[in-house]
This record gives sequence, C-alpha cells and structure tokens, in this order.
Amino acid sequence: MTQNTTYSPDLVTEPRQSVDFLGRLRHMAGWHTLAPPLVFFAMLLVVGIFNSNYLGPLGISIATASAAPIMLVALGQSMVLNIGSIDLSNAAISLFGAILLALALPPMGVGALIGVLLLLTVIGAINGAILAYTHVPSFALTLGTLGILQTAALVTSGSETIYVTENRELVTSLYNTKMLSIPLTFWLGVIVAVAYWVLLRLTVIGQTMTAIGKNESGALLSALPTKRAKIVAFAISGFTGGLAGLVIVSQAGSASASGLGSALLLPGIAAALVGGTSISGGLTNPLNIIFGALTVAFVPIAIQAIGFSAQAQSLVYGVFIIVVVALTTTRTRGLVIK
Amino acid sequence: MNSSIPPVLKLTRISRSFGKVKAVNNISLEIAKGEVIGLTGENGAGKSTLLKILAGIERPDEGTMEINGKVANFRSPNDAFRAGVGVVHQEQSLFTNLTIAENIDQQNTARPGLSRFGCQDWGRINREAAAVLKKIGVDLDPRTRVGDLSFVDRQMVEIARAVCVEADGQGTPLIILDEPTAVLEQAEVEVLEREIRKLREFASVIFVSHRLDEVLRICDRVLVMRHGVLTSDRSTRGVTRDELFRAMVDEAPTIEAHPRSGRPRDLKPAIEVRNLSRAGVFRDISFAAYSGRITALVGTNGSGRGALMRAIFGAVAHDAGTIVVEGRDVSHWSIREAVQAGLAYVPAERKTEGMIGGYSGTRNIALVHRGDAMIGPFLRPRRLEKTAQGWFDRLDVNPNDIAQPLDQFSGGNQQKVVLAKWLNSPDLKVLMLDHPLRGLDVGVSQTVNAEIRQACEHGTAVILIPDTIEEALELADEIFVMRDGQLSAHHDMSLASDLAIKEIVAEMV
Repeated sequence: MTQNTTYSPDLVTEPRQSVDFLGRLRHMAGWHTLAPPLVFFAMLLVVGIFNSNYLGPLGISIATASAAPIMLVALGQSMVLNIGSIDLSNAAISLFGAILLALALPPMGVGALIGVLLLLTVIGAINGAILAYTHVPSFALTLGTLGILQTAALVTSGSETIYVTENRELVTSLYNTKMLSIPLTFWLGVIVAVAYWVLLRLTVIGQTMTAIGKNESGALLSALPTKRAKIVAFAISGFTGGLAGLVIVSQAGSASASGLGSALLLPGIAAALVGGTSISGGLTNPLNIIFGALTVAFVPIAIQAIGFSAQAQSLVYGVFIIVVVALTTTRTRGLVIK
Repeated sequence: MNSSIPPVLKLTRISRSFGKVKAVNNISLEIAKGEVIGLTGENGAGKSTLLKILAGIERPDEGTMEINGKVANFRSPNDAFRAGVGVVHQEQSLFTNLTIAENIDQQNTARPGLSRFGCQDWGRINREAAAVLKKIGVDLDPRTRVGDLSFVDRQMVEIARAVCVEADGQGTPLIILDEPTAVLEQAEVEVLEREIRKLREFASVIFVSHRLDEVLRICDRVLVMRHGVLTSDRSTRGVTRDELFRAMVDEAPTIEAHPRSGRPRDLKPAIEVRNLSRAGVFRDISFAAYSGRITALVGTNGSGRGALMRAIFGAVAHDAGTIVVEGRDVSHWSIREAVQAGLAYVPAERKTEGMIGGYSGTRNIALVHRGDAMIGPFLRPRRLEKTAQGWFDRLDVNPNDIAQPLDQFSGGNQQKVVLAKWLNSPDLKVLMLDHPLRGLDVGVSQTVNAEIRQACEHGTAVILIPDTIEEALELADEIFVMRDGQLSAHHDMSLASDLAIKEIVAEMV
C-alpha cells in the first residue's frame, strides 16, 4: 500500500467552497489552545481603549489579585471536569478551609496550613472514593457534600467573622508581596497550573484521568487505574480548594461563611469553561485556565470601565460568558454536548 | 435502462479531503432504478467517506450529487433522509429501550401527521410500522421492544427504518447498507440476502462489503475504491474475484497456506478454566489454553463466548468455578491483575472499548505497557513516540502519523493500533481476541493474523473468537464449539485435519 500510486491524476483543483468564518477558525490548528489567551488580551485591549488606567500596575495588580482564588478553584474543578464529573463542593471546601485556617493559624502557625490542606485533600478524596465505589453521580454526591460543608463552615465559625489575630503576616505576606506588580497569590495559581499540566501530560495517573473523560470503558479495559484516578482527581480538587482558602485568608486577613470567597463556585466553573475545559470530560488545559480565570475576574472590571450601569452588569456578564465559551470550546468531539 | 427516468443517484466529480489526504477523489457514478450495487475496497479506501457524503454527514468539497434527477445539497442526515436516502450504518443505532414502531418513527419525526396536537398518534405509528415491515417481508410485531430482538431481527428493523424514506413518495429510494454482514453469522447472512432481493423491487441498493463472494452473489454491479479513487466499475457478470482483488490492492493476491504451528501441548496450560458459570450466560465451562497454540471458541452470537472471555479477563463477574493461571487460582481477579499476569484482551467493540478515540496512536499504545519510557512517575514522550513509530512501521498503519487522534483512522488501522497496544507487552502470556477481523479488509486481516501467529510462535497462548469458521480452521490448533452457554464439542486440529465446516456448524446450532 504505497501512497504514490494513484489511478487518475487531479485534473481540476477548484477553489474550496467557503466555510463559515467560525467553522474555519475552529478548524485552524491550535485554535482551542490559543483562544483563551486571545479572548483575554482582546478584552484587555478594549478596556484599555476606554480607560488606560486599568492597564497600569495598579489595574494589573487588582485584576490578578481577584483572579487568584477563582483560578485555584477553577484548576481543581477542571481536574474533576476532565474525568467527566463535576465537583459542586469545591468552593465550599475553600471557604471551610479559610475558616479553619483563620482559627488554627494563631495557635499553630505553619502547622495549621499543612494540617488544613491535608484535611481538605482527604475530604476531596472521600468524595472521589464514594464516586468510584458507589457510582453515585458526582452532581448529586457533591451537591450533598456542599450542604454538609456549608453547615460545617457555619458551625466552626459560629456564624461570625474569624480574624487572624496572630501569625497574620505568615499568610498576608502572600498577598502583599508583589512580583511584576502581580501578587504572590496569583503566582501560586500559575505554579499550580504548570504542575497540573505536567501531571496531565506526563504521568500515567494524569493520562488515566483524561482517558476516563474520553472513554471510560476503553480506559477500564486497558487496565488503567480508573478508581484511583477518580479519587486523585477529587483529592486534587480538595487540595486546590484549600489553596484557594489560603489565598482568601491572605487577602482578607479573616474568613467568614458569608464573606470573601463565599461565591466562588460558579465563577470557578465559568473560568474552567472559558479556559477551554470540556464540561463532558476528556479535555482540559490547566495553563489556559490562567487566562480563563483572568477573563472571568476581569469582566466586572471591564463592564465598569466601559460604563454600563450597575443594573446591567449581571446581564452583560451572562451574555459575555456564553459568547466566550462558544468561542473557546473545542468541537472536535462532534455534536454531542452533555 | 430507460433514458427518460433520471438515475436514482448521480455523482459528478465528488471529492472530499481531510488535511492532505484525499479521502474521496473525483468520483463520478450513476445508479439506475432497482439496481443493487456492491461497493468494496480496502480499509481507508474512502468508502466510509463516500457513504457519509451520501448520508448527509459530510459535505463534499467539490462536485455535484443528484438524487432522482434533483440536485442534492445535504446539510444534515435529515436532508438526506427526506431526499430518499436511507442508511443502515455499520454499527446498529437503534434505541433498545423503545419498540420497533417507535424506532421506525424516530426517523419520521420530521413528517407531519404522526402526531396530533403534539401528542403521538400511536395507532397510526404502529399501523405504519406494520406496513413497512410487511413490505420488506419481515414478520415482527411493531410493539416488540427492540432490546428483546435477536441481532439479525434488529438489522431488519434498521432496514425497515431506512426503507421509510420511500413513504414520502419522492421517486425511488436509495438504501445504503454499510457492511451489514460483518457481524452476522452464516444463516443470518442468507436471511439478509433474501431481504436485499426484495428491496430491489422498489428501491436501489448500495451494499458495502469486504466479502467479495457476497458482493458477486448479491449485486448487479460492483464498484471498487482504492486510495479514494474509483478503480473499477463492472457488472458482476463475467468479473472474477481475482480481477476485483487486483483493483482493491496494489499487489496481486497472495493467499498463503500457513502450516499449523503443530507445536505439541505443554504439560501445563498457560491458563485453565474449571467449571466456570455465570447465571443465564454460560454454564460449567472447562477448557485450557496452551503456550504457543491457538484455541478458537466458535459458536453463534449469543452462545456466551464473548462473556466467557470477559470473565476470564476479570471484566465481568462469574458465579462459580475457578480460573487458574500457571497453577495459581486467580478467580475473581481484576482487569489490572489479569494484565499484570500477562493477559491481553482485544474486545469486539473496537471504538467504545478497544481504544481511546481522542488519544493519538502514541498515547493509545502507551496505555498498557510503557516499558522503559518512565523516569520515576513521569512519562518520557520521546521514548513513547519511538515505540509507537516502531509499531506503526511494522504494522504499516496508514496514515503513518503517530500524533493523529486515533478516531480519525479507518477501522482497520485502528485495529492495528489496538493490537500494538497489547503486543507491546514485555511478557505476553495469554492473548484473547474477540472478533479481531470484524469489518477488516483482506490486507489488514492478513497483517492481524500474521501478528497473532507470530505472538504464538513466541510462546503466547492465544484464545480466539473468530468471525467465521474458516478463520478458525485456518488458524486454530484447537477448536471448542460453544452452544447456548455450554461447550458442546472439542476438536484437536492436529488430529482431525479434514474436519468439515458442516460438521462444526451442526454442533453450533
């Protein structure tokens, strides 16, 4: 079977019929890897035209600071979306983590940080283990865990704001120290994104996670450790949620069940999707979630800069997310969208 | 041919490319009313793409398509259906939880009249379905759940569904059957052949198959494709198998007679199954497979062969009995334990179970055995690529691109990669294959069989569920016949060399 024997030569090469613009964009090599950063920089450009102050060091510092917790939550979420599941509890894990951290930091210092991260990783792993062994759908399962964790957050905080009274600088320095006008909290997210990229691309467990999202029976019959991969994906979601909790405390110097970070779930999912993650599994790029989170965090700022009225903000935000996800989603999986 | 009636299908210089590959290259053809056309060619010759264009799934880059004299510009399968093109796809696409009538109606939802005020008119749906079934001569109750039907009956429902296009009264319908016989057993193929003869009374048929005998028996004309080009368009009268074969492949046919390994049994089996049972599926199965020998399990669909193989691999549970590997009781082991012990399993459902479609060839081959391509927990992409390239070259995978997602390859080339995934094992003890040649052309089949033989020569015990009895007779050292979940006969081929096919068939049914 050689390629060079053909029976009839190509007599005509008429110009290819035009395909619609979006279709052509999607077929371009690497579009789905480039779309999330392109969308972000396009938005930056538009905002810059309206108000160049937002592109200065202060603007960058504000935008990246508000993107940091969203990014971390989104990174955890994307690891779970990648195996074809969803973790509705991961933002609640962050908030619970923030409260525990605020309570434990004064007496325990660095030990508090390690302990809290460990605990939250275990909570995530329990989610994963229940999913792997009982086959409760992740949506129902994590909706349950979400409720439990919200109660836990209320009880441990006594419904009050917990201020970090001692060892405060241990965490606040993370927010206050800046590199290139960008706070360390954001850089922490970037490091985590790189680590997860390596995990997905260069380890067996990462390959297994993506394989589960693409075709679980295929993964199972190739003897991949599917149960372990599910547990690890949820454990990572818990761990990353914990890091988001740390960022919340370092930013606010306190934590409460209704304060900063109490509404991270939906922005987290939005950032994962804007970053090109497929909600039906098997496709994610942690590096692009950096831009997904920046975009999601920047939209409210952009809306203000452009001068929409306060009432219209949610509306514009909603429309914008739909448009951006339409632009950044890969459609190579065909027309089946769950 | 009456010149006043336009052809049912007329293609003028149809082309479709995927990247650099011209899958369909400048094809022109006509099909007259009532004609049965055979379409054949190797895997990757472009048959599937051509069918997808006819079915409205792909759009041609160039050329025009006319159906019953009208220019057709399909944007979706629905358009094709409305124009009178009914397709029976290679993989069955029925809803098993719905009735026959509901399945036939699914195709018809675009038509008015079957629902009143938004409610389904069940009486009429059932009546129309019954009429269609009667028309194609199938005696089934339209209210039967499709899940309760046998495989060949489901195929008939698929045909009934495709035939529904005619109900619109837009000229002659074109029914496309994409490898309908690939998964059927001998007796079922005959039922299907009768069916096709009936279809030609009111429709034109395109029959896609790799089996040249069938094509010659059933069709009026046969089209051969190769590398996207139509290389032969001849009446089946007077054309020989050999001529078709030459149009399909570059080199002349080489039907080699492979001597059986003739290797004597070891004293100890590589794997042994004792009194294995699973309620309602298989019962009291005892057999052994030996290193360097091929053991074939023959039987009809539903004889429990597939489930037995999965039970051995740890993919389904069994109720009673034991599995012994090298003297060790491994009953109820997991798939991972089975693979660690040197087992491999090529499932019949290649796309959904054998491979990860979105992964490249490299990543698919690296799913099971990675050899030296690890540093600690990290994979070494370069080494994985080198291994994959070795397999792609050795098995002549086409296109020879290890980075391309596997779901963009043709079925035969996918199967080569699936096989490579398992053969890449450093110590393959037992290789189990469920219908490894399903839907493969002659060339790929030879490659696959050669690899199976070679593994065998290196000391692997092979357990094979063949597509055809001929395949079993050609390859196997031992044949076990399975019927209704039980082993009904055993033949050692080195002793009974002139075993007739008829004899085995008699034991199967």
